[in-house]
Amino acid sequence: MAQYIFHKADTRGHDHHDWLDSRKTFSFGDYYNPRRMGFGVLRVLNDDTLPGGKGFGQHPHDNMEIISIPLKGSLRHEDSAGNKAIAAAGTIQVMHAGSGLFHSEYNNSSDEVAEFLQIWVYPEDLNTPPRYTLGELPPHTERNQLHTFIGPDTPKGIAVRKDVWFSTGHFDYGASFTYAVHQPGNGVYAFVIDGRFYIDGKELSARDGLGIWDSEHIEIKGLSEDARLLIMEVPMIINPQ
Amino acid sequence: MDNHLKLLAVGYDPAIMQVVGRLLNSHAGWNGVIALTREEGLEKLLEENYDALLLCVGVSADDEEAFHRVVNNHHLSTIIIRHYGGGSGLLENELRAALDHQQ
Repeated sequence: MAQYIFHKADTRGHDHHDWLDSRKTFSFGDYYNPRRMGFGVLRVLNDDTLPGGKGFGQHPHDNMEIISIPLKGSLRHEDSAGNKAIAAAGTIQVMHAGSGLFHSEYNNSSDEVAEFLQIWVYPEDLNTPPRYTLGELPPHTERNQLHTFIGPDTPKGIAVRKDVWFSTGHFDYGASFTYAVHQPGNGVYAFVIDGRFYIDGKELSARDGLGIWDSEHIEIKGLSEDARLLIMEVPMIINPQ
Repeated sequence: MDNHLKLLAVGYDPAIMQVVGRLLNSHAGWNGVIALTREEGLEKLLEENYDALLLCVGVSADDEEAFHRVVNNHHLSTIIIRHYGGGSGLLENELRAALDHQQ
């Protein structure tokens, strides 16, 4: 029988600094809630806003898959492996931190805010060489269907682990679909980016999250025009080697 | 009496470990010591009583097993924590969760 955990948007951790406003679904930084330590291998889901010209200065990472999904504006990425890129809304940035690297992420605009989701997934293997990939999300004109943009053997997708799939889509009011879990035993974390949805009969609004496990099919229905959803399918067991 | 948490962090990338060391020692309640090799880590683990051992960048599953063996064989109360991410984001969370779990 399907199991659920519901995280309302207004129950998330919140940090506000002059350089960053961050809403944290799971414990991160100064926000610690022992009941919010992640969902399977999904460890971090931060909803970040950077004012113009601000950002994260150079700092290290290792052994984590760090996925950035710009929602508004663009990020300027630089890392110690020599990668330099601009990740704008409509693209997705995946940094496999592996054996370690330093990077910085700044709002590429000096006067407009940049909004992005910062998502961390535990790695499948430890201490492998770092790599950086900038990919594209499907245009929002391709409506009422889910597009998988992270997954093994996914056309135009980025492989993060062999057992993780991320999908997104824009949906009209009343559009419904069924998400079929790719790998038995995986859980699904649904995060509403914009608008409202029914997911397995539960109503979710913007920036609400719903974790679902012990389920093979998930019923989803758009409840507002131009509603946008992010689906993260992940293993529920953390066991990197 | 010193109520600081005594932490030993083992990792093999000196630049990243310098940052981890700075983060540990900038925290009001923590004292952090860094070891940059498996051998140095194992040696330090037996020199002093640490509340927690953080396994950081470069430490393999085999190395982790070696640290567990030393803790078990010497009946140390040190908690072993795998630190992911190599920066500030999860460090405090991982420690607090492990200490909560121990209690």
